[in-house]
Amino acid sequence: MQKFAVFTGSCQSLPVVQYLLQTNQLACVVLVDGQPNPDLMQLQQWLKQQNITTLPYSKNGDDALLSQLDRLAVNCGVVYLFRHKIRKPLMQYFNGELMNIHPSPLPEYRGPQPLYWQLRNGETLTKLTMHQVTQELDCGDIACDVEIDIHPFDTIQCLYQKTSQALLHLISQYCELKQNNQLALCKQTTEYTKLAPALQPSDLVVNWSTCNTSDIVNMAKAGNLDRFCAQLIFRQSTFQLLQASKVECVLKGITPGTIIELGLKSGLIVKTHDGAVKLDILGATQGCFDGYRFALLFGLEPGLVFDNDVAVNSR
Amino acid sequence: MEKQQAEHGPVLDYAEPRVDELLKHSIRTQLESLLKAKLTTGQRQQVLQKSFTDAMTLVLSDTKIEHSTLLKAFEAMYDQAVQSMALAQLSEELLTKQYVSASGLIMSPHNCKHTIKDVYRIQGYARGLDRAIHSKLKHNDSVTILYPACGPFAPLLLPLLSYYKESKKFTNKQVKVILVDVHPGAILALTQLVEDLQLSEYILRIEEADATEYKPSESIDILVLEAMQHGFTKEGQLSIAKHLVQFLTIDGLMIPQNVSVRGMMVVGETEFNQQWKQAQYSHSLNVNNEAQQDRVELGEILSINKSTLLNMQELELQDGVKVIPASKIKLPSGVKDMGKRILAIYAHIDTFADEGVEQYDSGVTHPRPDMTFYIDAKPKDIEHTHFVAHSGDMVQFYYQLSGLPGFVPVKL
Repeated sequence: MQKFAVFTGSCQSLPVVQYLLQTNQLACVVLVDGQPNPDLMQLQQWLKQQNITTLPYSKNGDDALLSQLDRLAVNCGVVYLFRHKIRKPLMQYFNGELMNIHPSPLPEYRGPQPLYWQLRNGETLTKLTMHQVTQELDCGDIACDVEIDIHPFDTIQCLYQKTSQALLHLISQYCELKQNNQLALCKQTTEYTKLAPALQPSDLVVNWSTCNTSDIVNMAKAGNLDRFCAQLIFRQSTFQLLQASKVECVLKGITPGTIIELGLKSGLIVKTHDGAVKLDILGATQGCFDGYRFALLFGLEPGLVFDNDVAVNSR
Repeated sequence: MEKQQAEHGPVLDYAEPRVDELLKHSIRTQLESLLKAKLTTGQRQQVLQKSFTDAMTLVLSDTKIEHSTLLKAFEAMYDQAVQSMALAQLSEELLTKQYVSASGLIMSPHNCKHTIKDVYRIQGYARGLDRAIHSKLKHNDSVTILYPACGPFAPLLLPLLSYYKESKKFTNKQVKVILVDVHPGAILALTQLVEDLQLSEYILRIEEADATEYKPSESIDILVLEAMQHGFTKEGQLSIAKHLVQFLTIDGLMIPQNVSVRGMMVVGETEFNQQWKQAQYSHSLNVNNEAQQDRVELGEILSINKSTLLNMQELELQDGVKVIPASKIKLPSGVKDMGKRILAIYAHIDTFADEGVEQYDSGVTHPRPDMTFYIDAKPKDIEHTHFVAHSGDMVQFYYQLSGLPGFVPVKL
């Protein structure tokens, strides 16, 4: 009989919890250690309503948790959206039965921001991958995976939702394989080209001298309504870029970052290296606006140039 | 709206424009006065025509007119012109559409409307044009004038034509004008203004066309070149002039007759701030001697006149961008604070005879600082694309004929 502990800190993992609960395989949920946030508080409330046992994870050590897991006869674990690195004693306790869910086609996009970087790189397909937890992050053997299409208009929020929906499929597939003794772990290939590192503030700023049109369109999608929102700099002020679209442009000799068109129908269009980009939706402390209204309100006109960083004037 | 009311008789013939919200916001004062006055169409047109004639009477006068008097007259002209624009019922799309074309910036009617308040630009051009027309008519029965990229108000000519009509100085048989603009919003506003000013008899055609490609069917006696911004940048002035100069008659005139674009190295604070602390307004008559002496002049970078335009050679770079070679300049040596100075490019415009627009008289002759030009100094940015040179270096300037034209310096 399998008794699972789910390690998480987000409501986005509820499909896993619900599936295990309904199939009588859930023993407890181990919650992250840290300041409560709205997502975590909502999760705690839901777990309480369902009378699900919750165990606290401690940054200081695993002893207390291990004894509680043992008391509940937990023998399997699933980790998803759990911000802590699993320590060796916990891994030893599960003896290879602790699985992590990583939203990328591993070994590509190992790291803390896989969905962001996949959108930013314009990927059209991703995977939700169940793999063994190992000392080295995101490197364990793969148990199973589920493919997820990325639509050209998908934002980071769309992908969060899609991965959440795919979770149920993934956990049920994993449990069935396990019950039928058909689970075959596969080693990850050693070749990979892309990583998903933590984001630095400079990663979020649109640099017109280095970014091409697709980069800018993807940056906006990857950060839409998220704390990693793409940023534009104009006259030392920072604005959020929530949506952008590629536009054909044959103009020559124009500096990338120069506003080349403004119109009610055409919107706010900016020259890039390889064409032009329409700034569809922008955010400021005053609100969200389409490019046209934003430009009229903030005095942006064709001929003016966006900056590449805050320290615009080097003199 | 106005026309429909006119059909019902003079009692209801008030100007109650259906104005776009944006235009309404920016010209609220003018609209309020229009609505308060409750003028009939005829009365409003009379006030408009008078404001244009009054401004030109002052401008063409040989006695010195106070700045405040000129300002007041031009404000009145502007107020009346924007009222006319409001009655043209431009849609928001037409009112605000602004873009960079292959040869220069095409400004929206919303942003163009202020040009008619540029007192000393209009004065320099109107006086020059008046003298040029006069000189042409000494030997010819009529003069055909082409005014490309004229904008929604054609401010260098329509006030002058109003004055001619009112004063009966020149008739529509003597002066014939072709007005050209690529912006459909400008054409709508212009058509309304010509109608309101009752100047149709002077206007051969109003054409919606790209001035860099426009081919007039008749020979042109006077070509009016306006489309320019400070530092001779952004707008397609050179491409327009270069294309249209071929349609001038052998003794045809380009107004301005010469534009001299010059460079200087200035201390920004002295040139653009200290110099104007005591001045009432920015004008060549009010420049400060100390600031002028502090300048390090680089000399003429480009001269634009009929002769240079006809001989101008274009070079096409690898990426398809076309440039025109301008002057070679040796950067001065021995200037101690050269590293702290910035390049400023300014234009001197000779419209005709001794009439013109000097530095600081207008937005178009205002020196334009170029923060990307470094002499004896290093940019702080690590990844910069700025121009860096040293005192004594030879620099070749090119004029780039792109969507946003401007000067490009190259170290020899």
